Amino acid sequence: MTTTDTNTDSVVLSMRGITRRFPGVTALNNVEIDVRKNEILGLLGENGAGKSVLTKIMIGIHQPDEGHITLDGQEIAPKGTIEAIKKGIGAVFQEGSLIPNLSVTENLFLCHEQGFLRHGLLSKRQMASEARRLMAIMKLSLDIDQPVSMLSPAAKQMVEIARVLWLSEKYGATNPIVILDEPTTVLNDGERETLFSILKDLKTRASIIFISHRLQEVLENCDRIVVLKDGENVTQMPAAGLQVADVEQLLVGHEFSGDRFRENEQAAPGDKVVLKIDRMSKAGAFEPLSFSVREGEIVSLIGLVGSGKEELCRCITGLEKYSSGSLTINDRSPQIGSARAAVLSGIGHVPVERREEGLALNMSVADNINHLVLDKLKKGGVINGGMEKDHARRWVAECLVKTPSINAACSGLSGGNQQKIILSKWLSSDVRLLILDHPTRGIDIGAKDEVYRLIRKFAKSGIAMIIMCDTLEEDIGLANRLLVMRDRQLVAELDAPPGRKPGPQDLIKLII
Amino acid sequence: MQNAPQESSHATGRSNRRRLKDRVQPIHLTVALIIVVGVALAIGNPNFLSMYNLDTIISFGAILLVAALGQMFAILIGGIDLSVGGTISLVSVMFVLLVHKIGVWAFPICLATGLLLGYVNGLILTRVKIPSFIATLGTGGIITSLAYLVSPRPLSAALDDYGYFQIVDGTIFGVSKTFVIGLVVFVLIWAFLRFTTTGRNIYFVGSNIKMSWMSGTDIALNRNIAFMISGGCAAIVGIMISSIRYGGDPVVGSSYVLSSVAAVVVGGTALTGGTGGVLNVLSGTLFLSLLDNGMNVVGVDQYFQQALLGFMIILGVAVTFDRTKTPIIK
Repeated sequence: MTTTDTNTDSVVLSMRGITRRFPGVTALNNVEIDVRKNEILGLLGENGAGKSVLTKIMIGIHQPDEGHITLDGQEIAPKGTIEAIKKGIGAVFQEGSLIPNLSVTENLFLCHEQGFLRHGLLSKRQMASEARRLMAIMKLSLDIDQPVSMLSPAAKQMVEIARVLWLSEKYGATNPIVILDEPTTVLNDGERETLFSILKDLKTRASIIFISHRLQEVLENCDRIVVLKDGENVTQMPAAGLQVADVEQLLVGHEFSGDRFRENEQAAPGDKVVLKIDRMSKAGAFEPLSFSVREGEIVSLIGLVGSGKEELCRCITGLEKYSSGSLTINDRSPQIGSARAAVLSGIGHVPVERREEGLALNMSVADNINHLVLDKLKKGGVINGGMEKDHARRWVAECLVKTPSINAACSGLSGGNQQKIILSKWLSSDVRLLILDHPTRGIDIGAKDEVYRLIRKFAKSGIAMIIMCDTLEEDIGLANRLLVMRDRQLVAELDAPPGRKPGPQDLIKLII
Repeated sequence: MQNAPQESSHATGRSNRRRLKDRVQPIHLTVALIIVVGVALAIGNPNFLSMYNLDTIISFGAILLVAALGQMFAILIGGIDLSVGGTISLVSVMFVLLVHKIGVWAFPICLATGLLLGYVNGLILTRVKIPSFIATLGTGGIITSLAYLVSPRPLSAALDDYGYFQIVDGTIFGVSKTFVIGLVVFVLIWAFLRFTTTGRNIYFVGSNIKMSWMSGTDIALNRNIAFMISGGCAAIVGIMISSIRYGGDPVVGSSYVLSSVAAVVVGGTALTGGTGGVLNVLSGTLFLSLLDNGMNVVGVDQYFQQALLGFMIILGVAVTFDRTKTPIIK
């Protein structure tokens, strides 16, 4: 790790040796970060690098397994957001935490209204005048009585920032730290400019941690940056003088080890077109786009959150309706917006939320594996126990699922094994096109490799796949072809044959 | 915000970590309770073990069993059927009247009525999209009113019709007929759950409806079937009760709502759906029958029995409720 700035006088928050593990994966490993007074610190890293875990540790949602946090020279260990906010550390998340039907005033002081009590009743007048004071400090002109749902995303963010500041002030924190998680994704250009000018003003009263994928704006507006990769520090350095290309290099690192993704097993796709998307669009989500996927082809869909790729996948799998265009799978056009119709036409979906959406957790391994093929495991019209067992055992062996027995409940298995069960389920069915949503998220290295092996196996048997991965390297390594989405449009298609794969740097330019 | 890798702390493949606490299932507790209560009653009152008393337990237990097995379907699929009381009452009075007018055809028509009412419950759930708790609360009230419409007062069977009532009442090969009916229904339902795709899908839908939807399961169809079976079982219960009492009564079904749910839940089938089965329901029914009989033999006050039943339900639910499904209990 390189730190090219050793001025430690003005450090407000210092985190050292932070390690945090979850079953099967180490999310943060010996991470170090300093936040200085009156600075805007950019926190960068790919999906899965550990930014959100680090943020959650700062605001007390998780506790580190190892390491220390020091605030203003005193060691702290916040357990919960209330403790953290009392120390002056608060976060504003992308999805927003305001209560939509309550007014700006009510949201500002929610759960901390004790100071406004007069004879046991809330003084609306006091709350209103305090709210107006905050709006003036933030240089906002909002109707503080209107419900927050009527505000623009930019205004909502301002309200949340104001709340964090007010709470820090109320509890006497001398150096508030405001963490902003991807604040600019929901803003248009004008609003972005306004946000940055407000942040520059805010700097005089607080420290700001700015998390964003948009390298250009991070470099333009942050004083220093911290780059995380795979749960570890890559660097902490001043932003001055850095170019976007330098940062891209840091983000993806130098190791792009050849066969982590079993590229030597990557085969050219067949000729038959399995999926054909023709000028499909969804109002507010993505503009008309067209592409096709052939037998045995792995197509990787890349883009930032908000690029429209998630919605595109949801339209293909029937979880959402698209507004125009058509989808043909093996010459059939399933009903729009019906997951059942999609599955019956041969489209399968391995969801990102494994536990909530991928498995019946309290049912056995065998039950889950056999879920889609029960009609085939029958003798004389009734389900045959012997055939069920054989089928389940076959797939457990094939996919190397580690389980005490095929009758064990899925809830007791690790994430990697759960994922293998979900893949077995689809592999054994008639699926022709499988959408894999972050297939190796939260899975350890060994299991990841086994999942890649299964994906290659799927492809060889002619199943087409659309995948969205946690890292660009994974997307590039697995894919035959890459589709790039940006700002709701399909902007590029690249080939990724083994041995001549594009580099992550080439793609980052297109994504951002 | 990107999702961090999140897995609950017990998601490891290491089976040696499973302590005694995890291996004991609710059904073991129920069986233990049955033995304890049974022994206590036997010691406390010598009459308990008499043939007559045991026969009473089995005959009435069989009726509760059928009602509980029907309720089990609604609960397995993640809902609940609060209209069974109404259906039982309606069928009990319908049966007396129909038997008088059309003889043996009363049997299939009453059964069909139960199935139809169940289907209506299913439709309200799947088309109008009202949760089953509210939907069946509503339909239950309507059906009970229909029962009163058919006969505002208890209805006695006409002497000439006694033959039809004796089809269900009485013994066959020395065993009470209601017991045989209960046994047959038990076996049929066990087979349905074990051997048919629909039976298996009912578990999947109850366990994880989102996953089932994304896997292409026909959720509406499975829900309709589950509620139809519940309605059908309620109709059978109505016929059974009517037969052994030689008469119908529009209030006769009301206690069965609470007791059918109690039997299902006490036996270890979670209200959250997706777990449990016929053995659980059997043990729950047995326990409740013993308790009921025991309390009557000992002379416990009727109202106290109701309170005890309510307490059993809370206890049963507390033990089996899957809290991961509803982090916020309303």
